[in-house]
Amino acid sequence: MLHMKSVLLAGLLATTALPALAADLTIGRSNEPSSIDPQFSRTGNNQMTGDMIFGRLAEFDQNLQMKPNLAESWTNIDPLTWEIKLREGVTFHDGSPLTVEDVIYSIERTDEVPNSPAPFTDMVSNVASLEKVDDTTLRITTNTPAPSFMESIGRVFIISKAATEGKSSDDFADAATGAAIGTGPYRYVAWTPGETMELEAYDGFWGEMPEFKDVQIRFISNDAARVAALLSGSVDLIDGVPPADVPRLEADDNYTVISTPSGRVIYLGLSMRGDTAPGVTDTAGNLLSENPFRDPRVRKAISLMIDRQLIVDRILGGSGIPAGQIAAPGLGGHAEDVTPDAPDVEQAKALLAEAGYPEGFGITVSSSNDRFPGDGDLAQAIGQMLARGGLTVTGVEALPYNVYSKAATAGDYGAFVFSLGASTPTSATLLQSLLHSYDKEAGKGAFNRVRYSNPEFDAALAEAMEEFDPEKQRAMLEDVTRMVFADTPVVPLYWQKAHWAAKTGLTIDGGLSEDTLPQAVSSAK
Amino acid sequence: MTAFVIRRIFQAALVLLATAVIVFIGVYAIGDPLEILLPGDATMAEREAVAQSLGLDKPLPVQFFTFLGNAVQGDFGRSFVYNRPAVDVILERLPATLELAFTALMISLILGIPLGLWAGTKPQSGVDETIMTGSILGFSMPNFWQGMMLIMVFSVALGWLPSTGRGETGTVLGMRTSFATWDGVAHLILPATNLALGQLALVIRLTRTGVQETMPLDFVKFARARGLSETRILLVHVMKNILIPIVTVIGVEFGSLIAFAVVTETIFAWPGVGKLIIDSIGALDRPIVVAYILVIVAMFIVINLIVDVLYSLLDPRVRARAA
Repeated sequence: MLHMKSVLLAGLLATTALPALAADLTIGRSNEPSSIDPQFSRTGNNQMTGDMIFGRLAEFDQNLQMKPNLAESWTNIDPLTWEIKLREGVTFHDGSPLTVEDVIYSIERTDEVPNSPAPFTDMVSNVASLEKVDDTTLRITTNTPAPSFMESIGRVFIISKAATEGKSSDDFADAATGAAIGTGPYRYVAWTPGETMELEAYDGFWGEMPEFKDVQIRFISNDAARVAALLSGSVDLIDGVPPADVPRLEADDNYTVISTPSGRVIYLGLSMRGDTAPGVTDTAGNLLSENPFRDPRVRKAISLMIDRQLIVDRILGGSGIPAGQIAAPGLGGHAEDVTPDAPDVEQAKALLAEAGYPEGFGITVSSSNDRFPGDGDLAQAIGQMLARGGLTVTGVEALPYNVYSKAATAGDYGAFVFSLGASTPTSATLLQSLLHSYDKEAGKGAFNRVRYSNPEFDAALAEAMEEFDPEKQRAMLEDVTRMVFADTPVVPLYWQKAHWAAKTGLTIDGGLSEDTLPQAVSSAK
Repeated sequence: MTAFVIRRIFQAALVLLATAVIVFIGVYAIGDPLEILLPGDATMAEREAVAQSLGLDKPLPVQFFTFLGNAVQGDFGRSFVYNRPAVDVILERLPATLELAFTALMISLILGIPLGLWAGTKPQSGVDETIMTGSILGFSMPNFWQGMMLIMVFSVALGWLPSTGRGETGTVLGMRTSFATWDGVAHLILPATNLALGQLALVIRLTRTGVQETMPLDFVKFARARGLSETRILLVHVMKNILIPIVTVIGVEFGSLIAFAVVTETIFAWPGVGKLIIDSIGALDRPIVVAYILVIVAMFIVINLIVDVLYSLLDPRVRARAA
């Protein structure tokens, strides 16, 4: 009888399939990569995933600042020649050593990934030739002098030539092909799209070993569901905590909220594109025959009408930092003394009168409603603040981002809310794509949707971008920022804050990059 | 009969073509995929290269006829986001949705029919009132709210059941399924219940009405006169008669369960096609959106075709009309 019982018990145990060995760390992540091939797409989601498994020549830390990584050091021999010294003793996850050939192969493959929706092409477009000097030294010549060359080439993910030659981006997802081996802290185990990714710490990692060995990342795009997953204990840490849930989680002793400023700036664009601005009317409702936003006094007046602190406190629950420029604190080129305009309705009205609009004018404020927390409410708040400042707000419209972005780029809006994220160590690229005169041929001003144009600023920015001395370059970028924001090219509103929440006892090293990397998670001290 | 089926298939092809035109133009009108796909710092050269490689630089008619030409040969294009054939991406996720919809259907039938019978045999009683009020809640409470409540109660407060993802899956007969492991089944319970609630209310109401309409009929009286037990009358004779409308409605509703599991899948992070379509609309992944809608339309057409064929097999009058 006893025997019978134990057989039954054994049978019962066998049918109750044991759950897979519980991961040491389970992360609930809001976004998902589209491929495991790190060179397939340059979106933040994919780069974040790449940073777990693969290494790059340079490391961009949580505050986007560049540090040596697979490249131990680099020197600029002459304006067109760079010599890169590889770190010794670095191995791929199959145990094979990292060689100069792998680096050359990776750089050459970068712009040849078929059908990439967001290629890394620009990172390598300046490369003229690649040359192996010795087993650990690589010499690269560029087409044009590029002080920020390492910021570009350093961003290329290094993959193993032997493991990936002849393989497609798709092959990376199948661990059995062995293509997805890198030099990063984690080894790729498996990925089920829309569901989970499994990683395992690589024992032969050259750097500091991550604290957690087996990591599972769950992709939970819905905000409420992600928070619920943390509360129910099915994940240990989540990213993208909605601002509304932050106070509640902070008040609960079982959870810790980690908040950092993000590099993403939210701004109000005032279109100077046409001789008239869409939605800008006289007080009777007829389209104004001139474009008032071309007058810097009008732009300044609008900036003065907006109470940024109030927006941050009331709409974002404190999850923002009022901004007076584009580059967030911590980025190179952020000028401390360029502060956000304090609300001053009297001065705003005086400026409007001076510009020839004593009665104000009619304006429509446009915004997305699903791009970042509170964007729809933000447009309404701005509408009210502009009305208080003496303008006639004829409409506030908020649309889904996939519809809105196209129309904003096409110039359909007069006053519109938009955001810009940072991914480089300095403000140079931000300033160039947002505020440089729109120049399709030169590829500058790609996101200059307002078509601001200031030749003096263009020249000063170009000069700063050609400066090889990083210290000097940062000082020059600060000067450029002071110069251009005196002219209110766009109205900066605030920098977002990023929030993570974890079970008490865990913490994550987060920053401007907003990355959620398992190697950045540790037990709180 | 053959002529009837052939005509239906021809009609189906026309419906699919019309859907393709409407969806393609609709999706084309929404926005510019490049705005979403490219990172914030992409240069214009990269932008043009991507537009070219995805075929977005061509005018709408050219894009449409290229799509149509390929679609006729079974190629619905490659996903912009994943760079994999759209149909592959969809079919890869369909089993998860089918599993969810099937479980929801089972829950609604296994609970719904007995509850409906119970309420139907005791009209105006406390049991009836309770069940009917409950079914009103099932109908009228928003699906997403029910989902959040299920999570709050069973995952967060009680900690009984997991709330996200599909859990451990095993392979049965070459298919990846949650039924293979206890962990998988545990993950299935909450989302399936969420999806089933609306359906459950429908089954209860259909059954109850059916029972109330059938009980006064003569054959029930004859059955009683023959001395059959009340249970046998209800479960065999009444049941046979009321199942026809239930099966008809449920057949069509099963299609809706699959197509509209979107809300449930989003809340429970269930990796099915519903979540895929929402993500794809957000990312303007046109090939996936178009292929998904065509797959769903095809599915509805097939279900309806089967229902029609069954009718004509069962009912000579339908056959005569069709001929």
